Amino acid sequence: MLHADRLAFAHPGAALRYEFSFTAAPGEITAISGQSGSGKSTLLDLVAGFLAPSGGALTLDDRNLLPLPPEQRPVSILFQSETLFDHLSAARNLALGLPSGMPAAEARARIAAALVEVGLPGIENQRAATLSGGEKQRVALARTLLRDRPVLLLDEPFSALDDSTRGTMRDLVRGLTERQGWITVLVSHHADDIEALAARRYRLADGHLVEQAI
Amino acid sequence: MPRSSSLPPRPLRLVAGAALALSIAALVVLVLVSILRAATGAAASSVDIWRLVVMTSTQAALTTVISLIVGIALAWALNRLRFPGRDLIVGLFASAIVTPGLIIAFGLLAVWGRAGWVNEASLALTGQSLEVPIFGLGGILAAHVILDASFAARILLARLDAIPEARLKMGQSLGLGALQRFTVIDWPMLGPTLPGLGAIIFLLAFTSFPIVLLLGGGPANQTLEVAIYAAVRLDFDLAGAVQLALVQIAICSAIILATAAFAPVSAATGRSRPPRWRDAGWARSVQWAILAVSIVGFALPLVAILVDGIGPGIIELAQRESFWRALVTSLVIGTGSAALTLLLALTIGMARAATASRLARTAIGAPAYAYLAVPAVVLSLGAFLLVRDMGLLPEFAAPVVVLVANALLSLPFALATLAPPLEAVAASRGKLIRSLGLGGWAQFRDVEWPLLSRDAGVVVALSFCFSLGDLGVVALFGTEDFTTLPLAMYRALGAYRSNDAATIAALMLLLTIAAFTLLPRLFGRSSDAAR
Repeated sequence: MLHADRLAFAHPGAALRYEFSFTAAPGEITAISGQSGSGKSTLLDLVAGFLAPSGGALTLDDRNLLPLPPEQRPVSILFQSETLFDHLSAARNLALGLPSGMPAAEARARIAAALVEVGLPGIENQRAATLSGGEKQRVALARTLLRDRPVLLLDEPFSALDDSTRGTMRDLVRGLTERQGWITVLVSHHADDIEALAARRYRLADGHLVEQAI
Repeated sequence: MPRSSSLPPRPLRLVAGAALALSIAALVVLVLVSILRAATGAAASSVDIWRLVVMTSTQAALTTVISLIVGIALAWALNRLRFPGRDLIVGLFASAIVTPGLIIAFGLLAVWGRAGWVNEASLALTGQSLEVPIFGLGGILAAHVILDASFAARILLARLDAIPEARLKMGQSLGLGALQRFTVIDWPMLGPTLPGLGAIIFLLAFTSFPIVLLLGGGPANQTLEVAIYAAVRLDFDLAGAVQLALVQIAICSAIILATAAFAPVSAATGRSRPPRWRDAGWARSVQWAILAVSIVGFALPLVAILVDGIGPGIIELAQRESFWRALVTSLVIGTGSAALTLLLALTIGMARAATASRLARTAIGAPAYAYLAVPAVVLSLGAFLLVRDMGLLPEFAAPVVVLVANALLSLPFALATLAPPLEAVAASRGKLIRSLGLGGWAQFRDVEWPLLSRDAGVVVALSFCFSLGDLGVVALFGTEDFTTLPLAMYRALGAYRSNDAATIAALMLLLTIAAFTLLPRLFGRSSDAAR
């Protein structure tokens, strides 16, 4: 279980002080909604380690995550954009998710398998810049598979996609979350995404999370 | 919907811009015609053009390569490190673009010259003289790299600052190491800027005048610019000067045409904000080392100028009438050319923004950029010949020629800074401006000026500082009665009055720093007050 307990933060010079408490469980998607500027991205930054909270606790199965720098947190992130490095091939982007020093043959096999898993077999050598928005998101999802971190943070990941691609991505995220047992936290202001995916819901208002009934 | 329908109709702007563009083009043509006429009527000359071209190209190429490498390293270090006074250090390197070459050359002599700090320290400590070869190619390269690598670092730092935060977060969460971060995240941002930046540095080094004049150490290291000056002022070989000027224009034009495809480099870089993600371990140690060496390399000559120049010599200099004349002339010419540059850049920039036709935009802007191909000494030579052809005495025309020439030489930088935001406003706010029925003046006062004023301050500061430090234009027009600070300093050096030269250098440096730091703020504040 990922558990935040009164995780506190205030942006310098801002009057509003955030205090987040929530619980997210393995194999299910926890959705967080709220208006633009309500603090959704701040919450993800705190969980990912990009921001240091002024108080509170953040644990994964009772392990304290707060002392860990972002690269050591058991977390993968998927943003709305900037999910891949455009000048690299799909395979090189995926390789960034593998442990360094892995034998090349094993790395190639794992990359190929991950691409099959997200429905994009054989695109290893394609430059990321030539991929569509939906394909980029799927390659990024494949990389989270390779990284094999228990927590997946999704920051408005479907916002830039058309309706049919959106449906495909939703199915992929739901399926992978269930199969891999990921703790997936979805931040979105799209009610239909939340409706389709969330097993648990929170609404962010005035710096606090309020759990909502499904 | 065609783009033209979203642009507010601004016929006055178009007419004013086109008229100015025509006038500027006519002036270029007149200068070229004067040079060509002199070339056809002149006697044979013995200048060795090929040797000069090889020397000039070699030092410019070496300057470019070394400056880009040092600039990348310095930008990398500045982007990663956070420390008290970071803004000041970034500002110090940003000031390189306006620091007169004469000042840096003189500062290098103050540190590394025979009577410089290093040699004096060596004599005091070891009794041995430390002979540093400051005159010649080494000295020229050192001075150029100090200026151009700092300029490159500031431009490249702006590119690194522009890396989207989400990309950095992704890289950090993936645990990229310092080297991997540079190749995967930084390099794609830096790479596309390098050809354009390299071309500018090459052009600056190729047309460098005061540094080569002071540190060249003789004919062996002469460049085309200095050879033109020497041909006119020292050898009275007008035919040689004209031949050299034509070669210079041809090469500069070829470089500009070859690099026209690259993005223009704006002089306004804004405030630098370091990313939250910092490198650790060996990378951070290397970054601190790079920063320390760069600060010493760039700041030490400037500190030496201030220490050597601010002293009792000021009182002696202040008693000379010629000094006050030079100071007033420099301030008047600097202020006048800065005002003229801003007026020209705004008028041409607004005219370009008022038309949807790419051809019209190019036609209006091209004459201004043509001055990149006409270096200061060549422009001065052309103006000198033109004035002579018109039957005027050069000393009567000098103030106007120097003021206008300095404004025109700053114009390409000014236009590269102001034209893109003006065009962006027209493209993104054109429909809104039309729907609100704003007139041209209201558009300028309420929409464009508030967005542009700080950049306009940068343009004014740049132009003022360029003009203040100019030696290339005034070198051919200067007389006993018409002298600017750089010319007075150069004459003082020639007459072995090094104390006077040091004091003038310190004063020029202080004026440059004051203009570069205060003017953009002053302009920015004026727009804040108007809002």
